[in-house]
Amino acid sequence: MKLRSPHLAVLSLLFVFGGILVSMLAGVWQSESSKVPATYTSGEFAGQYNPADIRGSYSFADVASAFGVPADILVKSFGFETYENPEDLQIKLFEDVYGVIDGKEIGTDSMRLFVALYLARPYTPEEDTGLPLRAVQSLLEAGKIDPESVSEYRQKYSVDISGRIGSDAAATVAASVAGSVEATGESSAGAVTGEAEDTTIKGKTTFRDLMNWGLSEAEIEKVIGMRLGPPTQGLRDYFIEQEVEFSEYKDELQSRIDARQ
Amino acid sequence: MADVKKKKLSRKKARKKVARIRTAVQILFFVIIAFIAVNHTLTETGGGIPIVSKASLHAVCPVGGLVSIYQFAAVGEFVKQTHASSFILMIIVFSLTIVVGPAFCGWICPFGSFQEWIAIIGRQIFGKRYNTMLPAKLDSLLRYLRYAVAGWVLYVTARSATLIFADYDPYFALFNFWSGEVALTAFIALALVVVLSLFIERPFCKYACPYGAVLGLFNLFRFFGIRRNAATCIDCTLCDKSCPMNIKVSTAGRVVNHQCISCLKCTSEQACPVVDTVELMSGKYRVDTLEIKESRV
Repeated sequence: MKLRSPHLAVLSLLFVFGGILVSMLAGVWQSESSKVPATYTSGEFAGQYNPADIRGSYSFADVASAFGVPADILVKSFGFETYENPEDLQIKLFEDVYGVIDGKEIGTDSMRLFVALYLARPYTPEEDTGLPLRAVQSLLEAGKIDPESVSEYRQKYSVDISGRIGSDAAATVAASVAGSVEATGESSAGAVTGEAEDTTIKGKTTFRDLMNWGLSEAEIEKVIGMRLGPPTQGLRDYFIEQEVEFSEYKDELQSRIDARQ
Repeated sequence: MADVKKKKLSRKKARKKVARIRTAVQILFFVIIAFIAVNHTLTETGGGIPIVSKASLHAVCPVGGLVSIYQFAAVGEFVKQTHASSFILMIIVFSLTIVVGPAFCGWICPFGSFQEWIAIIGRQIFGKRYNTMLPAKLDSLLRYLRYAVAGWVLYVTARSATLIFADYDPYFALFNFWSGEVALTAFIALALVVVLSLFIERPFCKYACPYGAVLGLFNLFRFFGIRRNAATCIDCTLCDKSCPMNIKVSTAGRVVNHQCISCLKCTSEQACPVVDTVELMSGKYRVDTLEIKESRV
C-alpha cells in the first residue's frame, strides 16, 4: 500500500483535529487552568472555596464567579474601572500596575485578602500585603467590616493607589504587557550593579530560594516537619497542598535566614 | 519529441502541485499556532476573541506532554503551565508517527516550517552549495547532539517540575517574542537558528530538537516507510539532493535513518524522476520487468 502527499495531508489533519475532537467529546481535553479554587477541608468552612487558592491567572470574572463577590466591586476596589473589559483582566497584573507602594505590595495576595474579608473566611495574608484604600472603603460600604475597626484595617493594610489608577493604570497595564522586556532588563541591571537581594519569605518564595539563602534541605525539613516539595514550587502552593497554614512556619524559616544574612 | 516535452512539462507542473499540498498544511498549522499565541496575550489584557481558546503556547505543544511523563507517573500531575491537552497531543503525535514516521516534523511543526522558509533565502544565496557546507564527519557527529539535549530536558524537567527548556527554546521565543516572558537565552537560540538556517536546512531539527530526537526513533519501526525500488532506480541521486536532512536515499532499500521527517521530497511524486521508485509505502515492491520498462522516463 502506497501513500502520497494528499493522503499524508489528510492523515495529519485527521490525527490532530480528530484526536482533539475525540478527547473533547470524552471530556478529557483541557488546555487551561480549571479556575476552580481548592476548598477548605476541615472546620466551619469545610467544602467552601478557599481564597488562599486564588491564582494570578484568575481574572476578576473568575474570582467573582468562584466566590460570588460582584465583579464590579472587585474592579472598583482595585482601581481598574476605567479599563476596557476590566472583568477580564488577570489578577497577576496587579504587581505590574501597582507593585510595592510605601512598603506594602498590591498583588495577587491582596485579592486573596480582600475576598477573605468580604466573605468573612479565615485567611492569613503575607506580612507585606496591602489593600487599596478604596478596597477598605468597599468593605465598609458593603458592611463587611465594622466602622469601628476601619482605622485598624487602614493602618494595617491600606495603600493609597490614587496616583496610579485611571488612565495611568491602563497605560501601565498596556506597557506591562508590551514592554515587560524592558522591565526585565531593568531588574537584571539592578542585579548586576550589586543590589542586595531581598530575602523576605513570601508566598511565591520557592524551596530553591530558601536553599539559595543558606538553608539546607535537612534544616527546612526539620522546621516544616515534612518532606520538601519540588525545588521550584512556591511555599504557599506547597502548604495549601499539605493543608497546613503557611504562617505557622514562615516566621521560623525567616528567622533562620535572617541569622545567616 | 513534442510529446515528450509536453509530458515532461505536465509532470513538472504536477510535482509543483504536490509540493504545494505540504506547504499548505505547514502554513495552516503555523497560522493556527501564531493565532493561539497572540490570542493568549490579548486575553491576558482583557482582549482576545471570546469564543477562541485562551490556551497558552505550552498547552498546545506536544513537547509539554513528553516532559510531563515523569511528573504524571510520579504524582499524577502535569508540569506547570502544561495541561492535559499537551499530553493528548503527545499521544496523537506518537500515534501518527508510528503509522507514517515523523510527519509531525515535516508537515506540522511550525518551527520546522519556519526554518524551511528561511532556507529559501539560503538557497538563493548559496545555490547548490546550500545544506552541504558542513564537513560530513562533523555533521554526522552533531546529529546525535539532539539526544543529549532530549536527555537533559527530560532530566531537568523531572527534577524541577517546571518547563526549564522554555528559557532556551527558540520555538517559544519565535511565538512569544512580544510577551516579555522570553528569556535572553531563548532569543539567542532563535537568532542562532535563523543564522544557521541560511547555511544548513533545519539546523534545530538536525542537531538540537529534543522532540525530534524522540520522534526520530520511530523511524526504526514505523508502519509506512520510505522505500526505494532498486530494480527501477536509475542512480541519478536526485533523492539524496532533495532531502532536507541529507539522508542518502539512493543506496537504501528502506530508509531507516533516525533523521527522516517524512516530507516526501525524495519520492517519485517530487524529486525522483522514475515513477513508483521511491515511495512512502508498507510492504515491499513487486518487481515486474514490463512495468519497469514502461515506468522509465
